[in-house]
Amino acid sequence: MSNFVPPSQHRSLRACMVCSIVLPGSRFRREGCPNCEEFLELLGHDDAIQECTSQVFEGLITLADPASSWTARWQRLDSYVPGVYAVKVTGILPEEVISTVEAAGVKYIP
Amino acid sequence: MSNFLNQDFGDASDEEDDFNPAPADASDDEATNNDDTNRRQANNQDDDDDDDLQPNPRRQSAQSDDEEEDAAPTTRRPTNQDDDEEEEDDEEEDDDDDDEDEDIGHTRKRRRKGPRNQFLDVEAEVDDEDEEEPDEDDEIAGEEMHPDDLLELPAGAERDDRKHRELDRQRDLAASMDAEKQAQALKERYGRNRAANVDSAVVPQRLLLPSVDDPHIWRLKCKPGKEREVVFAIMKRIEDRAGTREPLQLISAFERGGVMAGNLYCEARVVEDVTSALEGLQNVYMGTKPMMVPITEMPDLLRTRKSKSLEPGMYVRVKRGKYAGDLAQIDEVESNGTEVTLRLIPRLDYGLNEDINAAADNKRKRFGFGANTGPRPPQRLFSENEARKRHGRYLTKGTGFTANTWTYMNDTYVDGFLIKDFKANYLQSEDVNPTLEEVTKFAADAEDGTENLDLSALAATIKSNSSGAFLPGDHVEIWQGEQRGVVGKAVSVHSDIVRILVSAGELSGQIIESPVKGLRKLFREGDHVKVIGGSKYFDEVGMVVKIVEDRVTILTDSNQTEITVFSKDLRVATDSGGQVGVGKYDLHELVQLDAATVAVVIKVDRESLRVLDQTGAVRSLLPSNISNKLERRKNAVATDREGSEIHIDDTVKEEGGEGKQGRVLHIHRNFLFAHNREQTDNAGVFVVRTNGVKTVAAKGGRVASAQAGLMKMNPALQRPGAQQAQAMPPPRQMGRDRLIGKTITIRRGPHKGLLGIVKDSTDTHARVEIHGSKKIISISKEFLTVRDPITGAVIQQSAGQRPGGPPAGGAGGRPPAWGGATPGRFGATPRPSDGGRTPAWKPAAGGRTPAWAGAGQAAGGRTAYGGSGVSSAPAWQRGGGGSTAYGGQTAYGGQTSYGGQTSYGGGTAYGGGTWNPNTRTPFHAGGTAYESGSKTPAYGMDAPTPGFNSAPTPGNLDQPTPGYGQYRTPAAAPTPGAFPETPGAWSAETPAADGGPGYD
Repeated sequence: MSNFVPPSQHRSLRACMVCSIVLPGSRFRREGCPNCEEFLELLGHDDAIQECTSQVFEGLITLADPASSWTARWQRLDSYVPGVYAVKVTGILPEEVISTVEAAGVKYIP
Repeated sequence: MSNFLNQDFGDASDEEDDFNPAPADASDDEATNNDDTNRRQANNQDDDDDDDLQPNPRRQSAQSDDEEEDAAPTTRRPTNQDDDEEEEDDEEEDDDDDDEDEDIGHTRKRRRKGPRNQFLDVEAEVDDEDEEEPDEDDEIAGEEMHPDDLLELPAGAERDDRKHRELDRQRDLAASMDAEKQAQALKERYGRNRAANVDSAVVPQRLLLPSVDDPHIWRLKCKPGKEREVVFAIMKRIEDRAGTREPLQLISAFERGGVMAGNLYCEARVVEDVTSALEGLQNVYMGTKPMMVPITEMPDLLRTRKSKSLEPGMYVRVKRGKYAGDLAQIDEVESNGTEVTLRLIPRLDYGLNEDINAAADNKRKRFGFGANTGPRPPQRLFSENEARKRHGRYLTKGTGFTANTWTYMNDTYVDGFLIKDFKANYLQSEDVNPTLEEVTKFAADAEDGTENLDLSALAATIKSNSSGAFLPGDHVEIWQGEQRGVVGKAVSVHSDIVRILVSAGELSGQIIESPVKGLRKLFREGDHVKVIGGSKYFDEVGMVVKIVEDRVTILTDSNQTEITVFSKDLRVATDSGGQVGVGKYDLHELVQLDAATVAVVIKVDRESLRVLDQTGAVRSLLPSNISNKLERRKNAVATDREGSEIHIDDTVKEEGGEGKQGRVLHIHRNFLFAHNREQTDNAGVFVVRTNGVKTVAAKGGRVASAQAGLMKMNPALQRPGAQQAQAMPPPRQMGRDRLIGKTITIRRGPHKGLLGIVKDSTDTHARVEIHGSKKIISISKEFLTVRDPITGAVIQQSAGQRPGGPPAGGAGGRPPAWGGATPGRFGATPRPSDGGRTPAWKPAAGGRTPAWAGAGQAAGGRTAYGGSGVSSAPAWQRGGGGSTAYGGQTAYGGQTSYGGQTSYGGGTAYGGGTWNPNTRTPFHAGGTAYESGSKTPAYGMDAPTPGFNSAPTPGNLDQPTPGYGQYRTPAAAPTPGAFPETPGAWSAETPAADGGPGYD
């Protein structure tokens, strides 16, 4: 599945607040977050998407090779799938989501 | 040797063990016997041969390796014996691992997530593709084999075969598999593992700093605003090419949006990767070479400024839309922090601008949120009355708790403010710098109407830029952290770090560093301080009277009031408070309040101005109420009630009223703003109308009367009857100045008494060639006396004829001329009045008659006949005889009419016509003369006077067309002169050459 998003859909882009991957909102709904789906369970849950992803983000990184990229390492994206990520995501995760995330073994760094 | 060590790794290599039994079981049925035999002779080379039957040559080596490995445990052969073979084997084993992973799939992986995967992960992380792996693999293989060999030989033998086959299959698969893909799969696998364990996330970021081994980052230019598109385009390209022969070598690419607009950063090993990857990409400017970003700067590229968390009460600015740039107060922050409810001062036009594009613009409205047609309405609090006027149906009373809640056009208004949700990224929370005026608008809404500036909210907004507040030399105190209480003097300031020379306590004399955050400036009561920023008291100077924490109360120098400011906004001041507040507008400046109103600043307060407007009203304004400043127009001119010019800096006096006197500051339209030092109210400034003042003293000694009053140049006022007895314009001299070529003597000045000839002239000056020295000098015409070139006799007329000439000259020359006309004229007019007049003219008249005679003397005016044809012309020639000539004319007229005395009188009437301009000239010159003249019918120009009636008209009409004149004359008929007039018209042509044009 391509991570390409045509400019016309840029308005609908959302960034996952945990892994900061940037996808159109519809893809979050259809496929969930490729990195965090295990614990965020965004697939099909509009509420969860609203809570855990944000339309407010800055800077885009297209990541082809997360493992060797310093950028990815610096942004702590090196363990994620290739794709487009945001440099900064604005938004506050709900408390219970944070605890879920922590419980899943992912250190949540805002 | 190493096997002993590796023995422990049995656990670690369970990965291999895990899958081994499974296939073994599956293949049990295949050839148990074979296996058995094979296994029994595990070390036998025959096995190899058997296996060799299978065609793959590569397999052989692997196979033999296997054999060797199998043998290894038993023989205890050192592992490094066959390096080459082992190398190959490594790779294959590697492949095996991968492929098996994939083949066997998830079941195994799931199982791996057991307690053991920790070890696995360590392994995976440590030796991605290292040299160590081969050994391990070797030994793993050995390990695998070992128990098999020892414990269940038959199974082991069978397994061996199977393994070979499997290996074979996998190798095929591996061959078909792209190296890239393998790598990716590898990465992905390890990546997943890591994701589960999150190693990197807990590593502090400073340990992640880039090293030389990391890929480099290149900077490129791209079209500003298209960064996102570019990034996605690169993404697409990466994906498109991933499976092809030449995948993009780009490791990553990123942009930073607004922070570094127009820049694109690419991470790659070599620059060629970047250029080839981005070639032909839209919106990327490849014209500039990619610039490598130094390693040390790489983290900066990705540094995110922690966005200030938005808190209710804070002030922000809206970035776009109708309210772009407007200050807003945060009312509420949505839980996920992306949406914020703002309080704004609405900009509504209540439908005033909408009727033009009423129905059709639905689409447009949706399209451009900010693209509002028409001007942006001003900020005003919501008024339901306004809304009701045109949009009553859109207005509904809100159901809020407070009474003043309205819903209008889908927006909510509370207490006049607009309450609206905004996305956080449409808001600017840094560098808001709200001005006091803006803040007061929000603050003024307190329930009791009092202004309650929420200082803390303001502080939250302003807090940010405090780092610049400290300067070397400031006395500071550390009030946070371990060194709290340390007092000292700032030595140097480096961005956020202040070096402090400690002045007291045990650290005294040492220099310590402290972050700005924990510092505050130290003042003592009695210090003289100046407010250097942050509040509305900017630039105020005063004395510290009270200090509470970091709030300092100051008694200001300027108006002795107490103000409280943050200590960070203060500095010890050396100067005392000479400050002029607003700065933009100064005292006595002319400012525009609205299109129709101007005013002069009469007082400059800190935040407000007092102005005196053109109606004389005094208002207090904020500088923002002033639309602009009007420059002082140095050469503005107005006329006073007498028609004299008024210039700036002239002293004028009010006629009537209070008789105020002052120096003109500004002239605006017909208002004068003048200033009087002696006056106390309105700072001495007052406003008057120009026609209510008289110029008392002109600046620079300009003689007001010397200039012709502007009023008299105004044609509108010249119309007969427009104002009582306004004069006609003085007859202008057209064509050649008659003075030119005349012989003159100079009456005044250094050349007094000299004789010369006028060579050239202007309106006021003549260039005179002096006979004696052949020098040409320029001299005022007033100082010239025209003389007969032969006799040297003074010719009176010339100066008088000069219409534009200065009145002084007219005074000299004209009355006689006038006189010359007078008799004739009065001959026409009823004598009685004339009789009364003549004495008034006595002085002139005295001269007049002789002048007449004098004229006659020259032209022979006495004999009407004589003067007519021949001698009148020379009389003109001399120029002496404007009037004389006229006299001649008169005579001439007389001649035609033959009317003797009466005809003479008629001639005068005609002459009067021609002369009227001249008669006017004198009363231009002297108001008094005019006044007296106005009394007489002849001068009065009133219709009843035949003389007058004929005067303008014949001049214009009669002269060209005698016949017309005939018509005209009946008006003048009472005088017998009507008759002679006609011929006079004919003859007038000659004089008309001079006087005629003057009428036009």
